Amino acid sequence: MKRVGLGLALAALAGGVNAAEMGASDEPIKLAINEWTGQHVTTHVAGEMLKAAGYKVEYVTAGMMNQFQALADGDIHATLEIWSSNVSDEYAKKVAEGTVTEIGDLGLNAREGIAYPAHVADLCPGLPAWEALKECAQVFATAETLPMGRLVDYPADWGTPGADRMTGLDLPIKAVPAGSEGALIAELRASTERKSPLLITFWQPHWAMSAYDVKFIDLPPGEEACFSDASWGPNPNAVNDCDFSPSRIFKASWSGFAEKWPAAHEILSNYQLSVEAQQPMMGAIDVDGGKVEEVVAAWMTENEGSWRPVVDAATK
Amino acid sequence: MSAVDIPVPRAARLTVGTKAALITALVGALCLALEPVAPWLGAWPKAWVLPATDWVGTVMTAFLAWFKPVARLFSAVMVYPMDAANWILNATPWPLVIGIVTALGWYLGGAAMAALGLGGLGFVLASGYWHEGMNTLALVAVSVPLALLVGGAIGILANEVPRIRAAVQAVLDIMQTVPTFAYLTPLLALFGFGPVVGLIASAIYAAPPMARNVMLGLERVEAEVKEAAIMSGGTRMQQLFQVEIPSASRQIMVGFNQCLMAALSMVIIAAVIGGFNDIGWEVLLTMRKAQFGAALLAGMVIVAFAVIIDRMSAVLATERKRHDIRVVWGLLGLALAFTLVFWTRLPAASELTLLDPVAVSLDQGLTRFTQANGAALDALKNNTLYYVLLPLRIGLDQAVLPFTWGFSWTPQMSGALFALGAVLALGMAWAGRPTAGLTALIGLGMIETGITNLPWPFVLTGAAALGYVAGGRRLALMVVILLGTILVSGLWDRALLSLYLCGASVFACAVLGGAIGVASAVWSPVWGVVRPICDMLQTIPLFVFLIPVLMVFQIGEFSAFLAICAYAIVPMIRYTRHGLVDTPDEMMEAAISSGATDWQILRDVRAPYAAPTILLGLNQTILYAFSMLVIAALIGTTGLGQSIYLALGQADVGLGISAGAAMAILALIADRLVQGFAEERRKALGL
Repeated sequence: MKRVGLGLALAALAGGVNAAEMGASDEPIKLAINEWTGQHVTTHVAGEMLKAAGYKVEYVTAGMMNQFQALADGDIHATLEIWSSNVSDEYAKKVAEGTVTEIGDLGLNAREGIAYPAHVADLCPGLPAWEALKECAQVFATAETLPMGRLVDYPADWGTPGADRMTGLDLPIKAVPAGSEGALIAELRASTERKSPLLITFWQPHWAMSAYDVKFIDLPPGEEACFSDASWGPNPNAVNDCDFSPSRIFKASWSGFAEKWPAAHEILSNYQLSVEAQQPMMGAIDVDGGKVEEVVAAWMTENEGSWRPVVDAATK
Repeated sequence: MSAVDIPVPRAARLTVGTKAALITALVGALCLALEPVAPWLGAWPKAWVLPATDWVGTVMTAFLAWFKPVARLFSAVMVYPMDAANWILNATPWPLVIGIVTALGWYLGGAAMAALGLGGLGFVLASGYWHEGMNTLALVAVSVPLALLVGGAIGILANEVPRIRAAVQAVLDIMQTVPTFAYLTPLLALFGFGPVVGLIASAIYAAPPMARNVMLGLERVEAEVKEAAIMSGGTRMQQLFQVEIPSASRQIMVGFNQCLMAALSMVIIAAVIGGFNDIGWEVLLTMRKAQFGAALLAGMVIVAFAVIIDRMSAVLATERKRHDIRVVWGLLGLALAFTLVFWTRLPAASELTLLDPVAVSLDQGLTRFTQANGAALDALKNNTLYYVLLPLRIGLDQAVLPFTWGFSWTPQMSGALFALGAVLALGMAWAGRPTAGLTALIGLGMIETGITNLPWPFVLTGAAALGYVAGGRRLALMVVILLGTILVSGLWDRALLSLYLCGASVFACAVLGGAIGVASAVWSPVWGVVRPICDMLQTIPLFVFLIPVLMVFQIGEFSAFLAICAYAIVPMIRYTRHGLVDTPDEMMEAAISSGATDWQILRDVRAPYAAPTILLGLNQTILYAFSMLVIAALIGTTGLGQSIYLALGQADVGLGISAGAAMAILALIADRLVQGFAEERRKALGL
């Protein structure tokens, strides 16, 4: 966190005093395109900003888990939406090695939690209060988890936050890892269409939040003490008896980025995108079937005031 | 004639089999009896686990660091053909590409083949995935020559130096059985990010079929031909390249065909890494959104390519006849003229969305289906889980509970079950079939305990006994050593879980696939329906089917079971049918003239004759099931498949390689056992 703060301060300082050098503006800057729409929006907005500043930009598809090797080698130059909740260990290794550098938060206010499609409130009255789950855990029972209820957790390689919550809160619910994001969505879709019960670990911003009318369960606030002090919270004998700690969404670049494209580095470091901006664009793409390029271009013309200053500060 | 031959080996085998079964049963009983006193018999103690995963990680990391510069150089070189292929395929106007493929189809196989090329590529164009499709083809266009070169070289080397042939076979087996996902991380570190990794992964997977066919082809070159070459005084190289390879060309072309198909089936794996906007990436994106219609459409693009490539290269391999070249020029000219006249007015290939409504209606159909049949499907799933899968996994003593079977399992029931088994074994021994009796007893014991709870000494003994019966002492020893490595590396629990899931799927595939195969053999309309389905199941990226399976049956073992079955059933059907249809005419005639009914012929003539072929089908089914296990992990299974994903996410080279190796070991053991039995059947039949 310290490093981030310093980086931002430095960037702000540089912007305040004088504009940064353009650097190798004839060489394309390669930005990673990961597997989800929100990231596509984030990256294309940043890419358009770089283009407005006079850079060449190339979008390169890259698996979220595997992109860090590419970033370390300089095959990709920046990736703009990393979720602290499911970043791979490889990222920490590359940062420690000094080949990948973090370039600040994206400003996207993410939320993770235990969630359910709205119709489940009819099956388990008392929701969204978490205490209701004590009574109606049976509603969520399936063949694999009997006699316990079932919570569909994140894929195993993202960690087991849902299982930790269920143990922490001492609920008779067993967490089952989903295997992939597609599996999570398929569960949500099947549950909504069949009006069947479902508890799921989920996050926002995500297009499925509105598409399947997903609600979060109210859990005790995820304070620092909850994860270290067993006596804190409703269960006096366990940690994790609370909501998720707020997850951070941040950007990272190849370590040689700042030197090669100083102004672009400044733009990307200062680049911010809010949920309010990203979510409607995601909807326009995933629900209404628009193209990323067109949706982003429309947003850029309408909201020039929000991004132009960042570009100007770095280049003028 | 065969009636005289068979009794002798069978009588001899019975005693070996009986001994093996007896020892296994004894060890099992001993383990059961001693487990309360010596808990280390049940589960391999954690303290005995060697940190083999870490060792593998350390060794691999050191190797990677050493080899990296060479690999990076290779990557840098490979970028050029890659970019060139990409540029050519994408820059060529689409009417021209379609025209060229149609003309090629005509030249190779006449009107039918030309229509196939036109229709297939027309579908690709209409789907709107033209550019993604061309990127995919570029990848295949570079990886296949690479695989052909490597495979061909391996095959020739093994032919020239017979001493290393056994080792080469083992290496080829490893290349085909270690799941690609397991070595993606090291490949990524070695070759750097980008399509080159996908290229190499698909070349590794596609080279073995080529190598095997080259070996087989060269081996089968007739002695007279070879002698003629020697007598004409050529050097060894001249003999090889001017005489032997040309005369083995048919078999080598079969290898070429299989190499192409294997490379194409790896396309989706390449997409997991990214760096390349290909059709696999499109499948992954739509998968992530659980859009079945769109994912199926993108998957069908790969099927279209596969069918065109498969049929055309098959013709290339089997038929010498070529069609009128003038029509080729006519078609090419037509395509060129069309392009020149209309190009400015034609829509760009990616703008077309003719098939979007199809995708939408497919999705709606799936929704309607799950809504309408929800209750029935749930019942099917629950019953299979309660009465089949759960007992198989954790045993009757844990699976029988008041809310599943309606009552609790008691120790008395276990006792009764074992007593029943003992009576059965004794009764069958009395009737002169002691092996069958003992096997039944062992089977009952396994259901009572559950596969994942089997004591390890029992598993080792049982596998060794099977190995001994199937292939003698050497095979038994190999089985024990290989299983032992899994045991000490601490992956045993996960390996048993994988074994259980694969075992259940293979069993279901054997029964169902065998039945479909028989039906296809005796009644050809069935085959007409089954064949295209088999083709599609084998080439479409299986990720696509995970969505409907998940929508209908949710995350869990049953969905994984179904997904594995969908893929692994194909070879069982194909080989069963092939074996039954292939009965030599003179055997059939003899049977018909002796007045046998159709059913008698099937049971007494065709089935015994087809047994080795069917066993080979079973062998393939087992290998397919293991390879599908990794993909099934996306539905949330536990076991080795999930470990491989975990390793991929965390870039844990050691865990990835170890889990991949464990999977390959299980597959190899199953393969060797089944092949041993098949070999024996073949000998018994005098083939």
